[in-house]
Amino acid sequence: MPAGKNIKSSESPVEKPKFTNIVDTRPEGVTETGLAITGYEISEDGTRINTKLHYDQLYTIRHGANSPLFLGFLEGKLMATQCPNCGDKFFPPRTVCWHLDCNLAATEWVELEPVGHIHTFTIAGWSGRSSLKRLPFVLAYCIIDGCKTAIANELYGIDPWDAEFDMPVKVVFKPKEERLGAITDWHFEPGDDWTPSPMNETKERMKKLTLPVYDWVKTLKE
Amino acid sequence: MTRVCMIAGTTTPFDYGPTGFESIEEQAVMCMRDIMNDVPDFHLKDIDFVVYSHFSVHFGHQLAPEWIIHDHLGLVGVPHMRIENGGNTGGSALYAAWLAVKSGHHHVMPIIGWETMDSVSQSQGSEFIALASDMRYELMVGGIYPLFYAAMANKWMQENNVTEEDVAHIAVKNRNNAMENPKTQWYRNEHKYITVDDVLESRMMAWPIKKYDCCLMTRGMAIVIICDEEYAKQVAPDSYIVVDGIGLSSCTIRAGDRINFPGWTERYGAGYPDMTEFAACRNAAEAAYKHANITNPRKEIHVMEIHDAFSTSEAQIYKALGLVDKDNVAQFIRDGCAEIGGELPINPGGGLLGYGHPVGATGLMSLTECYYQLTGQIAKKHLSGKGQVPNAEVGLINSHAGTGTSISNFILRRP
Repeated sequence: MPAGKNIKSSESPVEKPKFTNIVDTRPEGVTETGLAITGYEISEDGTRINTKLHYDQLYTIRHGANSPLFLGFLEGKLMATQCPNCGDKFFPPRTVCWHLDCNLAATEWVELEPVGHIHTFTIAGWSGRSSLKRLPFVLAYCIIDGCKTAIANELYGIDPWDAEFDMPVKVVFKPKEERLGAITDWHFEPGDDWTPSPMNETKERMKKLTLPVYDWVKTLKE
Repeated sequence: MTRVCMIAGTTTPFDYGPTGFESIEEQAVMCMRDIMNDVPDFHLKDIDFVVYSHFSVHFGHQLAPEWIIHDHLGLVGVPHMRIENGGNTGGSALYAAWLAVKSGHHHVMPIIGWETMDSVSQSQGSEFIALASDMRYELMVGGIYPLFYAAMANKWMQENNVTEEDVAHIAVKNRNNAMENPKTQWYRNEHKYITVDDVLESRMMAWPIKKYDCCLMTRGMAIVIICDEEYAKQVAPDSYIVVDGIGLSSCTIRAGDRINFPGWTERYGAGYPDMTEFAACRNAAEAAYKHANITNPRKEIHVMEIHDAFSTSEAQIYKALGLVDKDNVAQFIRDGCAEIGGELPINPGGGLLGYGHPVGATGLMSLTECYYQLTGQIAKKHLSGKGQVPNAEVGLINSHAGTGTSISNFILRRP
């Protein structure tokens, strides 16, 4: 019998959730092999050897009190939190207010308007293994709907060198059937009334550095 | 109350595999033999505590790898613990060792720091390190540290009138400095003197940062010996230094959370640090300066080894350390103030850009280079004495983590 099975929720300080609605989008045939020695390499002079170890593991990222944010993504909503005392609004959310004088005041969930502006940005010409094929892209830190914080996401619908400080952006969600309750369910695009500024020396420089990245990505395997 | 001292420091060569020093116990033995050679009166039996400095167990696929090193150095029975604090792991380990000696409870301790980043590909390694961002929000949207630093630097450079060429000068300075030391990764691999044009023409990693603006991923180890002054006088009376001021501070994990952070607003006013300034560096520097009675750091400090993970961050750190302000940071670079022979040489040892960045060893590498400067050992430790700052008596080292999330500064002095 699993530990705690007969404990009534009224007797326990925290009720246990039951996870019953499960979505698994992994491609067919993907298995977790765990730890496997898959080979070795020996130096030319025969004195040194290296072992090849493959490790594959599925993680469950448990969101707990932050769940309204990720449940909101599934519904195409941006859920932030707000301090009931001082009114500061946070996205990504904070469980309690950041003002020490608010004494860990529990924040309240509020839905944001999906519009904001760029605080700062970069054009990615290199990234982690899982993101190389999306290069080049703009990673923009944006302030959404009057929050006190900026959040990073990719900005599309723009030539990367046209990105600029303070430009208006909107949040665009993937189609509902493609969403997975994660930050990757949405991205930024330029605000509806925005048009690119004329090319200048800085933008020409950004363009010159960005163009070779398109060619480099084509050389990646698969 | 005793002063906290340093009597020795060394590193393995820094490299990205194959290196010729693959196992962590052989790296520890290489370093420890170096130290025993430099300080013949130091004995392993004098050690009463060991602080290990190691960032990511992901790279070695080994939890508590310090237990292997400790065991194989024969130190079983000696108390040990490991410090992990991102890129500031080395500085934080020094902070811990300083407290241990200052408490009077421990007297002689190595700090042993290392990283084995060549066990995975560079792009996989970038992703491992980015697990230290808030991975729920930033890692999954392609965010790795060069991108975070580029976004911060993009705005900072515009606001401070610092150009791509200016920061390229920093990349050139540190890489060319590294050509004087055969242990550095730049010397062992690329092995060439570079120009500002080389930096500007290297591929874009994340606007405005190019490949040569970025430090290197590294396998390597560093060991330093920290002790009380009684022991220092006993075994190394002519070659010890004092760790005279310490400062450690923290900032938000996500740079996007520090635009309006209440604690900083209370200390430094609204709008600081934004996503551009390293508030934890400023705060830690103020603490270290006060501790060491430094009132004018630019005049009273003679040499610095700082955390140049990117050429842009070295420039940002100049400002956070109070050496320059918005109006003269670009001029400080253009005048060559931080070059060898300049007003205040910074990273004459090559820094992370030239020496390498095996995270847990990095702060201890900076400490070791600064120790050589203050004890006049550069000519002995490098290919020549070209990088020796004449009569350097006061030094600063800086260790830096996350997006500026944890930063330490230390003032080192001749006794």
